[in-house]
Amino acid sequence: MSSRIENHPILGKPETGRKVSFTYDGKKYYGFEGEPIAAALKASGVMVHRYTQKEHRPRGIFCAIGRCTDCVMVVNGKPNIRTCVTPLEEGMTVETQYGVSSIMQKRKAE
Amino acid sequence: MKRYDLIVVGAGPSGLSAAIEAAKCGMEVIVFDENKKPGGQLFKQIHKFFGSKEHKAKIRGFRIGQDLLREADSLGVHVQLDATVMGMYMDKEITVRIGDGIQHYKGDSIIIATGASENMVTFPGWTLPGVIGAGAAQTMMNLHGIKPGNRVLMLGTGNVGLVVSYQLLQAGCQVAALVDAAPRIGGYGVHASKVSRCGVPFYLSHTIVKAEGNDCVTGVTIAQVDEQFKFIPGTEKHFDVDTICIAVGLSPMSQLLKMAGCKMEDNPRKGGQVPLCDKYGETSLKGVFVAGDVSGIEEASSAMIEGRISGIAAACSLGYITGSRLEEKYQEHHKALNGLRQGMFAPENRGKILKKTEEGIDISESLLQKGYLTADEIEKYPGVTHQKGIHPVMECSQNIPCNPCQDACPKKCIKIGENITSLPAIDEKAQCVGCGMCVAACSGQAIFLVDEDIGDGFASVTLPYEFLPLPQKGDMGTALDRSGRPCCQAEVLNIKSLPAFDHTNLLTIKVPAEMAMNARFFKQI
Repeated sequence: MSSRIENHPILGKPETGRKVSFTYDGKKYYGFEGEPIAAALKASGVMVHRYTQKEHRPRGIFCAIGRCTDCVMVVNGKPNIRTCVTPLEEGMTVETQYGVSSIMQKRKAE
Repeated sequence: MKRYDLIVVGAGPSGLSAAIEAAKCGMEVIVFDENKKPGGQLFKQIHKFFGSKEHKAKIRGFRIGQDLLREADSLGVHVQLDATVMGMYMDKEITVRIGDGIQHYKGDSIIIATGASENMVTFPGWTLPGVIGAGAAQTMMNLHGIKPGNRVLMLGTGNVGLVVSYQLLQAGCQVAALVDAAPRIGGYGVHASKVSRCGVPFYLSHTIVKAEGNDCVTGVTIAQVDEQFKFIPGTEKHFDVDTICIAVGLSPMSQLLKMAGCKMEDNPRKGGQVPLCDKYGETSLKGVFVAGDVSGIEEASSAMIEGRISGIAAACSLGYITGSRLEEKYQEHHKALNGLRQGMFAPENRGKILKKTEEGIDISESLLQKGYLTADEIEKYPGVTHQKGIHPVMECSQNIPCNPCQDACPKKCIKIGENITSLPAIDEKAQCVGCGMCVAACSGQAIFLVDEDIGDGFASVTLPYEFLPLPQKGDMGTALDRSGRPCCQAEVLNIKSLPAFDHTNLLTIKVPAEMAMNARFFKQI
């Protein structure tokens, strides 16, 4: 189920950028250009952005304004990207972060 | 290193207001903000603001934000976005992270308007995805058009918790409950009532025991607490929710000031660590000013005035205006600011339990504990009368600095007077024409138009309605009372939406005459 607001009683229809595709953990997803990566993921029902380094606990969106760093992910191969304040671009690769790396980077390191 | 007359840190309501006033005085101003868009939290505020005309009352927050940006633009204020001020050093030097680099700036004066950050409480499961700040909920739904969750539990009944709960309902989410460890609702009663009449229960003297779920929130357990805030065994209640929203107050983001060596104080009434400052917002460091939440938690309306004051004070400190001109403008702003700091929710009343209104009427315990006034209590307030024909019923029971209803009525039916915290009263000599301007103007959505006898044993009730889809004339549904419980069948007689109402639609329903003073919300079938 999509969690986008189609029409809002005060704000009307949300203004969106053009529809673009990106990959999340290797699968193709869609979102709107310029919206935070976290918004596009949330609209597709993704809750877990990363697992913590020591205890492997899940983390997701928490503050949504770039302060708490709970929502960081590996974006275009770069870890610790705050997805709640990083605009979505066409063709981005977004990966769940395990500790400080993606699953592939982690396997390579091991 | 670039040098400016004035550096403002933070492009929210206070920072922008400061920059605007300083630019008007002829200063060369730069504003730094770490965000990608200016306006701070204003663009997430979709409710109508309180206050009087001079405070931009009855205007929605995001529109105030648009006006501020236009004003700043027209004065040539330079706002540097995506720029995080990392440090403030001796002689008003700052370091700013812009992109991947660090830049050095010097201001002949500096205004710190960094605002506040949200407080948190911890409980088992609080780090699970699905536990979010109330600000995050606002950001997602009001800026990005995303529902924060399908079913939400709100912790905290201050104004943020109340307003965000209502906004969640407007965004199409369900709100399972509002929970607060305190024994009384902290925010405005009118905000609580808006949520209550939609059927959302309040649990005061309750807090979260744990958030449930493996990879994300699937439920929450709350329980009652005693006077020492210890859980009372056997009082646990479970809710199936996918989101838990935390609204337990704000703390000033005063780190830069502390770092620069400003004299600070720990002041619980101001929300934590704040700088000591004079009436112009000047700190113990000459030429370093503060404005807005960073100097004490209030709200956007007062932040904007504080910003204007610090802006002119900075201009005076560098000789752009004279001391007498500063004093003259200060008096004007101070009067407006003082107007907002009156009433039951005034800073000096924080933490106090008030028993009576300024008018000497008992304050409703039901309102403070359950979020709604009872049908008996309502009769005690001066805004509630029984008349022949259509007339306003103003369920305004707390002394809040707010008076748009008085100005809205073209027939002068509504009297508040000079003291804007007074409860609105009906002038029974004036004749209501049923235009509904007062209903749409009331930021607390506490005014209803009632005609207790429209014939055949029926009454009509006109209520503010800010949800979609809009009911249509002729639709049948259920009328809900102030507590959100169904009280009778209702038929939609009319729905009125005018540009002047600014998206507050006026919904008129027909109910049995005996329900005229009970029916306060409409649920479509």
